[in-house]
Amino acid sequence: MPPPAAVRWAIIATLIVLWEAMPRLGMISPLFLPPLSDTLRVVVVDWPLYAEALVVTLGEVAVALVFACGGGIMAGALIGGLPTLRTLLLPVMSSAYAVPLVVLYPVLTVWLGIGPESKVAFAAINGFLPTTLATAAGIRTIDPNLVLAARSMGATLTQRITRVIIPAAIPTVLAGLRLGGVLVIVGVVVSEMLTSTAGIGYVVTRYRTVLDSAHVFGAVLLIVLLTLMFDTLARFLEWKGAAWQPHVVSRERRGRRTPVGEVAPAE
Amino acid sequence: MDAPVVRTRVGGPGSIQVQNLSHVYVGRDGASPALADIDFAVEPGRFVVLVGPSGCGKTSLLMMLAGLREHSGGTILCDGRAVTGPDPDRLGVVFQEANLFPWLSAVDNVAFPLTLRRVKVAERRRRAQEMLRLVRLEEFGRRYPHELSGGMRQRVSIARGLVQDPPVLLMDEPFAALDEQTRMSMGDELLRIWSETRKTVVFVTHSLTEAVYLADEVIVMSARPGRIIERIEVDLPRPRRYETMSDPRFIALRDRIWRHIRAERA
Repeated sequence: MPPPAAVRWAIIATLIVLWEAMPRLGMISPLFLPPLSDTLRVVVVDWPLYAEALVVTLGEVAVALVFACGGGIMAGALIGGLPTLRTLLLPVMSSAYAVPLVVLYPVLTVWLGIGPESKVAFAAINGFLPTTLATAAGIRTIDPNLVLAARSMGATLTQRITRVIIPAAIPTVLAGLRLGGVLVIVGVVVSEMLTSTAGIGYVVTRYRTVLDSAHVFGAVLLIVLLTLMFDTLARFLEWKGAAWQPHVVSRERRGRRTPVGEVAPAE
Repeated sequence: MDAPVVRTRVGGPGSIQVQNLSHVYVGRDGASPALADIDFAVEPGRFVVLVGPSGCGKTSLLMMLAGLREHSGGTILCDGRAVTGPDPDRLGVVFQEANLFPWLSAVDNVAFPLTLRRVKVAERRRRAQEMLRLVRLEEFGRRYPHELSGGMRQRVSIARGLVQDPPVLLMDEPFAALDEQTRMSMGDELLRIWSETRKTVVFVTHSLTEAVYLADEVIVMSARPGRIIERIEVDLPRPRRYETMSDPRFIALRDRIWRHIRAERA
């Protein structure tokens, strides 16, 4: 059995080859799937257009991230930490998480217009709930015995929060941040595709309506890259913040990283 | 040891006095007495073990001594002064689970109480390292808790309890989660540390063998509400060894404790 990483790369390489070969060999219409080389060519030729769209999208993502993750972590800490708030709000939040939030977007455009504000608002709402729920869960899984031990050493309430509760919660919070961040990107791109005048999602819609598949796939490729870059960055932060966790450290020694969300192998 | 050990002064550093202590637990089903008429004193440097049937409140009593839990009546004095809350200068606590902070290395875990007091980095490293040497883990300071065995983690926890040099060490079933072999060697390790530091130790356990093996005095408690049934002086010679456990006097003491507890369990 070859190493899993090699298999993974082989699959990716095969997909790239198929992307190029299948339209070229006439197995699939270039309207449905333009060859990879054509896609890359339009990205290079029309780079100014794509770059401008990406800047708009990235700006919206950044602002929405601040709201979603900042607000989500704070709300999650409160809900996870205060039993009264937890019993009041957690069931509501969990149910709200199941609602397809995209139905809110038309409402938001009515309230905030079709400019970046409605995208930021929609994406922030999209990312807020999972971050909140993950943080709340993270705070609740903190071992109360650690807090008791700190108290026996004379830790004040502030010290218990800053030196025990926050460090203990970091891995789960970062895992929530990654989940929330990806949903923020989804929110921005989807809302740009629905009603917009700028951004990478708008580029997709605009070229889709004129059947210019190469341009559509160029934009899709950039969105995929953007998400992968965010995910890599978030995983790196998670790995940094959770280096003390048993499974993370042991994998690190074997030269691999594991997200905290994954289940640790039994010891 | 450079200073002679004072063994007679009650009220001096490292002494504990529990006077007429009681506790009423108030829960959903109303109030029920948990501890009643607890009265005892521990002279500095003594090793006292609390035993009793499950649920008799021995852990609660220890947590009250540590200032971590409220009690309804009576007083607890340490060094002649009332215990009103956690006080790491007077009372170090070691829990059943080592309760080490998993994101800190062993040496930083030991130094944690000093960090809370804003002791300078160099000083706290030095003192933490000294404590790790005391528990024979000086080579393991940079390891994280999950990289240590259960026994090693508990030794780090003892080092942490001692780092502020409190005269009293309170231990809540510290070896209960360990396997029997580790547990026996940890008992010897604790007696060595105790004889080197001459701390007052109050130790809660379920194990009668462990109780007699370690103690100068065993305090036997009744079933809930916990009262003191008997205080048994263990006059077996020290240092205690594995062979001590087959000494007829050892067996007689353990039988006596067991008869009390069996009667309480019935």
